Amino acid sequence: MVYYLMVCRSLTYAQRTAAMLERAGITARVLRSPKVIDREGCSHCVKIAERSLTPSLVVLNRVGLTPRRIFLQAGEGDYREVGL
Amino acid sequence: MIYLDSAATTLQKPPSVARSMAWAVGRLASPGRGGHLPAQRAAKVAFACRQAAAELFGVDNPERVIFTSSATHGLNIAIRSLVSPGARVLISGWEHNAVTRPLHRLGAEVAVAQAPLFDGQAQLEAFARGLEQRPAAVICTHVSNVFGAILPVGDLAELCRDRGVPLIVDASQSAGCLPVEQDKWGAAFVAMPGHKGLYGPQGIGLLLCGGEKWVPLLEGGTGSSSALQTMPDFLPDGLEAGTHNMPGIAGLLAGLRYVAGRGTGAILRKERELLARAVRGLETLPNLTLFAAPAGERQGGVLSFQVKGMDCEEVGERLSRRGIALRAGLHCAPLAHSSAGTLAEGTVRASLSDFNTPAEVDRFVWEVGRLAGRQP
Repeated sequence: MVYYLMVCRSLTYAQRTAAMLERAGITARVLRSPKVIDREGCSHCVKIAERSLTPSLVVLNRVGLTPRRIFLQAGEGDYREVGL
Repeated sequence: MIYLDSAATTLQKPPSVARSMAWAVGRLASPGRGGHLPAQRAAKVAFACRQAAAELFGVDNPERVIFTSSATHGLNIAIRSLVSPGARVLISGWEHNAVTRPLHRLGAEVAVAQAPLFDGQAQLEAFARGLEQRPAAVICTHVSNVFGAILPVGDLAELCRDRGVPLIVDASQSAGCLPVEQDKWGAAFVAMPGHKGLYGPQGIGLLLCGGEKWVPLLEGGTGSSSALQTMPDFLPDGLEAGTHNMPGIAGLLAGLRYVAGRGTGAILRKERELLARAVRGLETLPNLTLFAAPAGERQGGVLSFQVKGMDCEEVGERLSRRGIALRAGLHCAPLAHSSAGTLAEGTVRASLSDFNTPAEVDRFVWEVGRLAGRQP
């Protein structure tokens, strides 16, 4: 399965992001960011399905919630940053 | 025992508060510090508490709801964020030591907007005059913890906005029974305890942050940006160093849900009815000085009085022996007593909560009557 990880500036920001997506019917899960994608050490991200990226960005853009960075997770340990 | 000391802390709580705290112990770990289930549970409870507070206090973004250990803690953060050493600050004459002591330590030039007790219009005019001196910040309590006087915070907020002066509101006695509207006010900070009108436990408080200027009082671990040696530059993390008080937050969430369910308007109406009942009884007594607003709407559920010829502490002690719990003295607010002219003698303070009853108020009045020399 392919997922997207949206890295957020804080746990609370990630929770707000996930809550907003869930409200729009998009399944979203908050988790700690994998170390390899975490620039500052310890952050949280929101995991969404591949098909949910575009609708998620539309929803988040509408309410002014911007992820810091977005990564494509294609497999175990395989993360590729996606340009915002 | 009849408990009438809710301005210090509410003693009777909704049963859900203790249940939530007991549930939290052993089930909630540290939010944001791990990906395991107990950490996730804690994160959910903390977020739910921020959301509940944001909804109740008109904050559009739960990231601007900060957990503190008390209103005092929140006020210290707010003051250190906005007041430089020696800066001019405008405060009301009804402030608590939680405001005046940090200002004293900073060596701030404190100007007091003096006005007669319960006179909202005069209070507002005094603030307007003080604002002409361009203070670095204005600090105002929403309700006096000694006399229950409601200060015109909404109108003051408008004055401060017009003049571009940041406002700090101490909502210690108003949160839970009066409308506290952070975004509408545009206040820089609103500080409140969790253990008074929000019916949570002691050791937890909230600081609502409206402005962009804030400075951490404590520095340490936040579970975020850990590789950096500076505190995160975003909220709430930047103001929440150290492990969260999760049983406290769980208890506060239960308290917030109780208040939201009851409605602050309903709680205020009940406290006002009880207060009016107490005033009606006490004002018939001889040898009593009562500090009651001429119009009830300018007073919250706090009432001060003195018994002529008796030390206030003796009154408190004798009422305590008769099963009435209230507080005598200066109530950690010497400035308020100085403003009212009661600094030398102090007062006895009765303060109500949503859990008091008319029968309790009647018994309190009867006991004060015994002391004052006549039974009503």
